Order: sequence, then C-alpha cells, then structure tokens
Amino acid sequence: MIPEIEYHRFSRLEDALRFLSENPDSKIIAGGTDLLVQLRARKINVKKLVDIYNIGELRYISEDSGEVKIGALTTIEELKNSKIVEKYVQPLHIASRSFATWQVRNIATIGGNLCNASPAADTAPPLIVAGARLRLKSIRRERIVPIEEFFRGPGQTILNPDEVLVEVNIPKHSGQWFFNFMKLGRRVSHILSIVNVAVAVKLDGGRIEDVKIALGSVAPTPIRAKSVEEYLKNREATLENIEKSSLEVVKDIKPISDVRASAEYRIEMSKVMVKRCLREALKL
Amino acid sequence: MSSITYLESQKDEYRILDQWLKAREYVYVGKDVKRIDALDKVTGRARYVEDFLVEGLTYARIVKSDIPHGVIEWIRPGRAVEHPDFIALVTCEDIPGLNQVGYYIPDQPALAEKKVRFHGEPVALIVSSKPDSLEELRNLVEVEIKPLKAVYDPLEALKDKVLVHEEHGSNIVLRTKVKKGDVSKALENTDYVVENVYKTGYQEHAYLEPEGALAIPMDGGMTIILPAQYPHLAQSIIARVLGYPQSKIRIIQPVIGGGFGGKDDMGPIIGAQAAIAAYKVRRPVLLVYTREDSFTSHCKRDPAYIRYKSGANRDGKLTFVDVEIIFDAGAYANRGPFTLWRATAHATGPYEVPNVDVRGILVYTNKVYQGSFRGFGNPQVQFAAERQMDELADKIGIDPLEFRLKNILRIGSRISTDQVLEDSVGVGEALVRVAEKCGWFEKRKKYGKIVDGKARGIGLACAWHGISTSRGVPDWCNAYINVSKDGSVSIYTGIVEIGQGTHTGLIQIAAEALGIPVEKINLIGGTTDAPDTGATHGSRGLSFGGVAILLAASKIREKVQKVASRIFECKPEDVEIRDGWVFEKIKPEKRISWEEAVKRCYAEGEELSATGYFFMPKGKFDEEKGQGFAYIVFSYMVSAVEVEVDLETGLTRILKVWPAICAGKIVNPKLAVTQIHGATVQGIGYTLMEEVVIEDGKIVNTNYTDYLIPTISDIPEIDEPIFVEDYFKFGPMGAKGLAEMALIPIPAAITNAIKHAVGVKPSEIPYTPEKLYRDLLRRMRE
Amino acid sequence: MEKKKIIFKINGVEKTVEVEPNKTLLWLIREVLKLKGTKKACERGDCGLCTVLLNGEPVKSCLVLAVEVDGSEIVTVEGLSRDGELTPIQKAFIEHGALQCGFCTPAFVIVGHWLLNRNPNPSREEVVEALNGVLCRCTGYRPIIEAILDVAKKRK
Repeated sequence: MIPEIEYHRFSRLEDALRFLSENPDSKIIAGGTDLLVQLRARKINVKKLVDIYNIGELRYISEDSGEVKIGALTTIEELKNSKIVEKYVQPLHIASRSFATWQVRNIATIGGNLCNASPAADTAPPLIVAGARLRLKSIRRERIVPIEEFFRGPGQTILNPDEVLVEVNIPKHSGQWFFNFMKLGRRVSHILSIVNVAVAVKLDGGRIEDVKIALGSVAPTPIRAKSVEEYLKNREATLENIEKSSLEVVKDIKPISDVRASAEYRIEMSKVMVKRCLREALKL
Repeated sequence: MSSITYLESQKDEYRILDQWLKAREYVYVGKDVKRIDALDKVTGRARYVEDFLVEGLTYARIVKSDIPHGVIEWIRPGRAVEHPDFIALVTCEDIPGLNQVGYYIPDQPALAEKKVRFHGEPVALIVSSKPDSLEELRNLVEVEIKPLKAVYDPLEALKDKVLVHEEHGSNIVLRTKVKKGDVSKALENTDYVVENVYKTGYQEHAYLEPEGALAIPMDGGMTIILPAQYPHLAQSIIARVLGYPQSKIRIIQPVIGGGFGGKDDMGPIIGAQAAIAAYKVRRPVLLVYTREDSFTSHCKRDPAYIRYKSGANRDGKLTFVDVEIIFDAGAYANRGPFTLWRATAHATGPYEVPNVDVRGILVYTNKVYQGSFRGFGNPQVQFAAERQMDELADKIGIDPLEFRLKNILRIGSRISTDQVLEDSVGVGEALVRVAEKCGWFEKRKKYGKIVDGKARGIGLACAWHGISTSRGVPDWCNAYINVSKDGSVSIYTGIVEIGQGTHTGLIQIAAEALGIPVEKINLIGGTTDAPDTGATHGSRGLSFGGVAILLAASKIREKVQKVASRIFECKPEDVEIRDGWVFEKIKPEKRISWEEAVKRCYAEGEELSATGYFFMPKGKFDEEKGQGFAYIVFSYMVSAVEVEVDLETGLTRILKVWPAICAGKIVNPKLAVTQIHGATVQGIGYTLMEEVVIEDGKIVNTNYTDYLIPTISDIPEIDEPIFVEDYFKFGPMGAKGLAEMALIPIPAAITNAIKHAVGVKPSEIPYTPEKLYRDLLRRMRE
Repeated sequence: MEKKKIIFKINGVEKTVEVEPNKTLLWLIREVLKLKGTKKACERGDCGLCTVLLNGEPVKSCLVLAVEVDGSEIVTVEGLSRDGELTPIQKAFIEHGALQCGFCTPAFVIVGHWLLNRNPNPSREEVVEALNGVLCRCTGYRPIIEAILDVAKKRK
C-alpha cells in the first residue's frame, strides 16, 4: 500500500510551477509507472504528489529545420509510433520498441523515464548519442542543459525541487550518420537491461568522422564510452577496428554486481554489445 | 524382489477396473471435452479466495522475522494498538491447540515459538479492520529477536557446528538408501567410469495467485475457504492447531490460481494461521501473503547437491550407479523426507542397472524451507542422471540415444530397488519415436558448429516418475456420487482443481461409466464435504481420483442395469447405457431415457448413491536393505530439445521441443497437451533463468522483475506430443499420472543440447547466461 | 487523508466516488467497486494481471492512481461481454482451452480484445508483442496465442 499522501493535479504548466515553488517538499508524478513502485516500497518518502500528467501543453513531438522537440509528457508508446522520431531520432525509436510492455509504454513518459534517473533507463543512451538537450523550467527561470550533465547518480538529477523537465531537444543530424540501440537482458523481453548501448556514427566515405557511444546499467548514471570513441575517430570503419575499439569500453564503465549480473559479466557484455551495436549500425 | 498385496475385500473393485480397461472404446474418455470452468474464468466471474464478499470480514498479514536464526525475546503490538483499524496481534500464545504444522516430522510451528529459523519466518499475525492499513500496522509491531549464528550451506550444516533444531541433536533430518548388487565389485570390472557433482537451486512456484486463506468461525467450528491441494490434510492440521475435532473443520476450495505442489504444503499452513486469527478475533479473517511474503516465506523446490558416479562397459551396458544426494531442507523438514526418498529411488534414471548404491541425506539449514513442486525431488536427480548418461556416452564414444536404448527399462525389468515392472512401460517406444520425429541422427551430425558466433545443438533426456505415494505408504481414494430424482448427478471428490483441468477429466470418466452426457453431471471438488480422496499431488488427481469416481459410477450403473433388465426382460449385463439412453444391447430401438430409468430406481427401492473407495495394492520396502517395492506404476517422459547458443553472451534460445509421454490412457488429449506445454515452459525457466538469490540467509529477489519466469516471448515451438498409451491396470481406463512429467527431463535435455552445441559440460542449474559464458571462457582457456 | 471526488465511466456506467489519493486504480476497481474479475498479483507492475482498458488503451491498474482516472473511461473484463453475449476472444479462449488456473485469463482476454480492435489481422509476432506484459505460469502461453490468431482468422 502506498503511504498517505497529498495529491495535487494541474492541467496548466504555470500553475504546477507555481505550486512547486511554494511547496519544495513535493514530488512530480508524470505517469508514475516507476514512481508508484518506489512509493509502495517506501524507497522514497514524499508528502505531496504533483500530477502534471494532464498538462497537455507538454505532450507533443514536433520538428523544425534544426531540431526535434519532444514534450516531456510524451508517452513511450507515442515515441514508438512517431514518424518524426523514427526518422530523426532513430536510436530512441528503437529503444521505445523494446521498452517494457505495452501497458507501461501507454503511460510511461519520456520525462518520467529521464527524471527517474535509473542507471538502466533505456531512453537515456539513445538521447545521449543523439546530442539531446533538456529544457528545465521553474517559475523563475528556464535553462537548457546537455543530457549528459543531467544525471548525478541512481535516482538523482540536477533538477531543483521547483523545476520541471519540460522538453527534450534533439538536433537533426546532417551527413552520413548511422544510429543504433541494443539491450541485453537475461530474458528476451520485458526485462531490465544488464547493459544497454546506443551508438551514433558519422562516416566520411569509409572513415569514421564522428562517433558517440553511450551505455546504461554499467555505471551509477548512463555514460559515454569516450575511450571507444577516441579509438574509432578517424579510423576506417572496419570490423577489426570496431572489435578493437570495443575492448576500450572497460576504461569508461564502472559496473557493480547485483541480482541481475556480476560486474565481471557486465564488463564482458559491454564489450560485446558495443561491438554488436556498432557492427549492426554500420551493417558490417 | 517384492510382492504386491491384493485385498480380498477389493476383489469387486479389481473386476470393475479390469472391465473398463478392456473396453478400449470410449464415448467420452479420450475426447477433447471442454473445460467446465472455462466460462467463469474468461468472464472474470471465477471466485478466488480474495474475491469473496463476507460480512464483518477482517484482514490479516504475517509479521516476519528479519533474522535468519535467533531467539525471540518479545513480540509486542507497539504503537499498532493506537491505530484505529487495529484489531489484534496474534502470536503463538494465542494458539488453543498444538502449535504444530509439520508434515512428517513435527518440527514446524504455525507461528514461531521461542526461536526463528529462517529470514521471513512468520512470528505473528496482525489483524486489521481494513485491508489498506495492514502494511502500516505490520511496520508498527515490535519484534525483538536475539540473533544466533546461522548456517546456510548444507555441506557446512552437515558438520553440526550450528544446530537449526537443537532438540534434534543434528542437522541431518534423515538418511535414505537404495542398494542393489555390489557397486565396488562392479567398479573393478567396468570399462568406463564418469564422476561428477551436480547442483540445482531453489525454484519458486511463482503461481500468479499468492497464498491466501479465508477462515470463518461458524456452526461451532471453523469453515475455511482455502486454496489447498488436500482438503482433508488441511482439516487435520487445522484441527490439531485449534484443538478441535477434525469434523468441526470444514474446508472448501475456491477457484485456485495455480498450485504446482506449493499449495499442497502451504494450504494447511496458511489455513492454520488464518484459523488461529479467526479463533482469537471471533470474526472472519482473510489472510493473504503479498507477493513479497510469498517469495520470502513460502516453501520452494529443494536445492540439491548430487555426487554421481556411474560406469558402463564397451558394449554400452550400464554396470553400476553410485550416488550421494544431499537435499537442503531449509529450516523445516516439511516434505523433504519424501522428496529425498523419491530422488533416491529414481536416481538411476529409467534404466536397468545391475549394481546400485544411492544414499540420501536431508539436512537442515537456516533458509526458507523446501516444499512440494511439480516433480517432487525428481527433477533434481533426473538432471544429474541424464547429464551423466550423455557424459558416459561421450566417454564410450557412442550416440547418447543408442546408449539409452541399450539400457532402457522394459516390461520385466528390475529397477534399482529390485522391484520388477509388471506392465505399463512405454519409455523405449517413446525414445525411438521422439528421435525419429526430431531428426536426431542428422542433427547430431550437422549441429555443434559455430556459425557467426552462434551454434545449434540437439539433446534429449528421459524421465520416469513413480505415481502416488512410495513404498508401503498407504494410498487410497474415494468419491461419493448421488443421482437426483431428475436424473442429474452430483459427484463429491476431495480432488482439487488447481488449474490442471482434473475436474473436467473426472466428469468425463463419470459420464463414461454412467452412460450420460457430461452436462448432466455436477462435480463438487476439493472439499472435506467429500470423502477423503487423498491429495491432489504425485500426478494422482485424475488417475486415482478417477478410479474412485469410476468405481462409484459403475456401482450406480449396475443398479440401473438391474432395474432396466426387469423392464427389458434380459440379463443386467445385457443392458447398455449410452448418451442418456438405457436399452438392451441387441434391441437398441426399444429404449427408455436415463431419467425414466432413474425414476424407476427411486420407485423400486434401488439406492442411487454410492461411494468408490479403493485401496491401492502395494508391496513392502525394506529400509535396512534398501530394497523392495517402490511404486505401483511409473509414468515416463522423453523430451528432445533443440537450442541455439550465443557464444558471446551465453544466451540460450530454445528453438523447439519434441515431447513424448507414457501416461497410459489419455483421458482428455487437449488438457494433456496444455499440461505438457505448461510443464515444459516451467522446466525451461528452472533450467535457464529462475534463480532464488540468497544473501546472508535473506532472499533478495522477491519480485517478478528480479526472479525471472518465462514470458510469452521466451517460449519455444513445442511439437505435437507423442502419446504412448501404456495402459495401467489400476488406472481409470488405464490412465496414469501426467501433470508433473514434462518438466522432469527438461533440465538435462536442454543442458545436453547446450553441450552438443558448444561443448561445455553443464553441471549446475539454473544454467544462466552468465554461467554458460564462464564455462565457455574456461573451455577456451583449456 | 483527504478524499478526492472523481467521476469516471466504468463498463459504460458513470460513477462518482470519493477516494484517497494513495489508492490505485486497481484498488478502486476491486475494493471500492467490488469488481473482482481484475486480479492483483504483484502490485508493482511486473505481472500485468491487473490490466484494464483506460480510455481504450491497456494499462496496469496497479501503476495508476485512482485519482488520476477522473474524467476517464475504464473497461474491465466484466464490461467486455454485454448482454450476456461472449466476445469472440472469450469464445476462442474456451474453444482452445487457452487457460488453466484462470488467474491471468481476464488480463489476457482484455489485451487480446484490445489488440484485435486495433489490429484485426495481427501476425504471430504482433500477438506476442502485445501480450508480453502479462505473465502466465500454467499454460506455457501457446494456446493463448492460438486462440487470438484463430479469432483473427475466422473474422477474415
């Protein structure tokens, strides 16, 4: 049973922001598929719930010439069905297809998934490699931060108590970019990742001009595999180079052992998944 | 050599069973009759224990020990008393009768007394007027336990440095033994010997409906709506705990959300707990385990440690089997003495072995206690036996299928206890047919090669499984049938419907014997209102429960035949009853309806109710010598499995399973197929993904996110099962047990296939991707 | 705890209920409205047995607060068969014996019903994808897939 709680629902962002500024002991609920589980298990202790789910102005997927804008309350199922996301934010689209189950995708929001800050969150690595920036808003100010600066640890973000994540901005990529996302679990579906990986690779002919790789579940936050990226930059996109680069990932990750997998296995699987994800992205 | 004792008083029953066995042509038996409970289940009308609306209901939850081994200093309600919903805190001091729910060994309290022996052990019950305050109230209860040193590893427990039950003097609960011939002499004359250690882990039942009980004080006794698998056992245990005569306890089964053996053990225990609370508060009490409570505090499949040594000669004949089996009972013996005996008796696998030495040890540890679970001690040992067969075959250099066929049990074979199999042994045929269907020889040649980081393999395993209770342990069944004046029929049986579909099968048997459509029959099952039918376990529900119904119905049939013979002026045995019509066999056009015949019986003083008591003929087992009668009959199973292993990740995909079962007459093929599917998938979970993780005695994965069971995406293709109908003379129309079978060979079949694919030698289940990955690394280094 | 008034439609009937904010939709359905066909089996979104349709889409009712459904429309298993006539999915589950203990059956029936409304002719993969949020421990799932595919086939 969920502990006693006050519930406040808003359908206008401004009202929610005002309430938050006056009630710093609040917790935002934006779908709640993770939050209710944590509340029930008493993993978090809050007195006031601020339900922003009905704020329609935060539920959209749009594009302009330079970027894709996703409202924070867009559900994962909406991401999955979006032509814009499919076209411009491919790794996020792939991740949304294997995200939990239909019943959860229908409710879970992209903002909720990010703000919950699980190291295993499937939406984070794709957005990291896509260069996403997050728009955070409070009644007093608004700021835009690169997604990589957003996470601070399991369940922890840079959000202030009065702030709401309102939008995810993803730049459109020009040039010959290749994207991919992969996850490994102990079961085929409906599973928390042992490791998940997203990649973005820009080719110039056969040469890797630019590359971004991000992993989840192998550190306290989703992380970039910068050593792998360094290795690959300006090298030919060959199987051999990919294989060698994937070994570098051990320098980037800090996995722990838990009921799902040991740290050693996570290290080995990080190499495998980086390799596979790149290989599949580049169709090698 | 053992001989079976037949009872003079049951001669008539033997005759009736034989008559139906020989009929071979049936109207309802062997047909896909639709489940009688399907309509209620698809519309949401089926009422499970949590779904009853009861006036004045109160709600209870267990208060658990968070210490794996310790002395209880005190248990107090604390600030819970200040809560408006608080009704009572119930501890062992509130128990009016004996605080004892042990099954075979009286070692287990309904609520912990003086000591706790595992993390999660129920120490008290909190009762509330509202269900939503239970969690809060439970957190307010004060429990003080002084920790003692604990022991978790069964091999460590054998040293008796920490005693789980001081009064027992040792952690060894008991030892078992099966012995034949001379193993040490055989060893000297054996060409090939293989020795390995096999380990298996806990398996959680994970039935979707957790344990529950609704106890209602009424009529000067206690009525309990109880998901159990043996109402009369629950009745006797609850009577003992309440200090009531057994007859004052009434058990009614609700619709039950899965059992798999777990509710056989948990029914009496949670029923007793709910009854104690209801006794104290004098109001109806609904006690339900949350999912987490179910994970932490209900019994599970026993972990096993098996040292297995066996040998064969150049000709491919087994010479000896030498096995030591250590079963981890956890904190209480529960069914351990019986799961261990079953493992001991089945340790050779379904093969002729001239020299056998099997020694079993059941040992206490400070962990959650063991329990009944589909296969009941046998999956652990069949995993070892059947992995061992593949290793031996490898060593000899012979195909594993051919090796098995050279040694397989046949009619007339002597099993490890030296019992002779008199009939009903179809496993050899099953092996041959499975191999044919799965393309065995071709795939054994073709697979085992790495293509693009992946490799395919095919493996198979056999299983045998004694039906009903072992040795001389008495086993009986019964049923009561009454024909109402309008011709409709009521059947009362203690057999419980836990989802397996048995009640539908039982009605088919009654319809066959009475000669009336299934629609005219109503079955009231799983209740102490019926005569003691024995448990719904050991794959005996349909086979033994069906015998009783067949006998009772046949007695009524004979009475109707007698009355009708006077109308048709013929001999009673010349009267046929079919599809609701009664007629003389040679003159079917002159007929009366079943209803008319029933009316005549009522009018002419012929009683139309009957019981169908049957006492299973059994032999004796000499525990000293380790020889004698083991089981009245065995069912057999063969499964072939095709896998694909991803060498880089250790993930195994099961591509296809080919099952064959020897369970005598198949009463309802559709129900049989769904049992085979369900058991196969449960076996896949057991083999590859289901792992109870225990840290310092505490189970840490207490939900479906961290304890993985197969989802709809994890299931393989399952071939149309092969039914080898090896009729059993004391089954209804020759039926044997079926429900457990398909799980038992799966662990070895999968791991044998993995071995074929990538060459590792799996010796431990669950064989998770991580374990397979480690074995692959080790193999590469070698 | 202060109760909130919510108005919603369930199985076609409008209801006004006062409910505490810490209660879930599952609680509202089972304990307040006493509709016992929707099952509770894990209360943390793992098993999917409490699935109902919320505004036409399947959701796990243990992961939704009751107060959140104000103004919404809910369908539970009891609301599928109107006027005593079974839905094609329910008939197919009976026909195929696509159930054993039945505890997960209402959830599978709900999701199957929704899937066929949305996609009258799903592939086997689409059926599996739609259903993989519901656990079953008895059947091995296969007859459930067959039942749903069979409805689609018969409709064609």
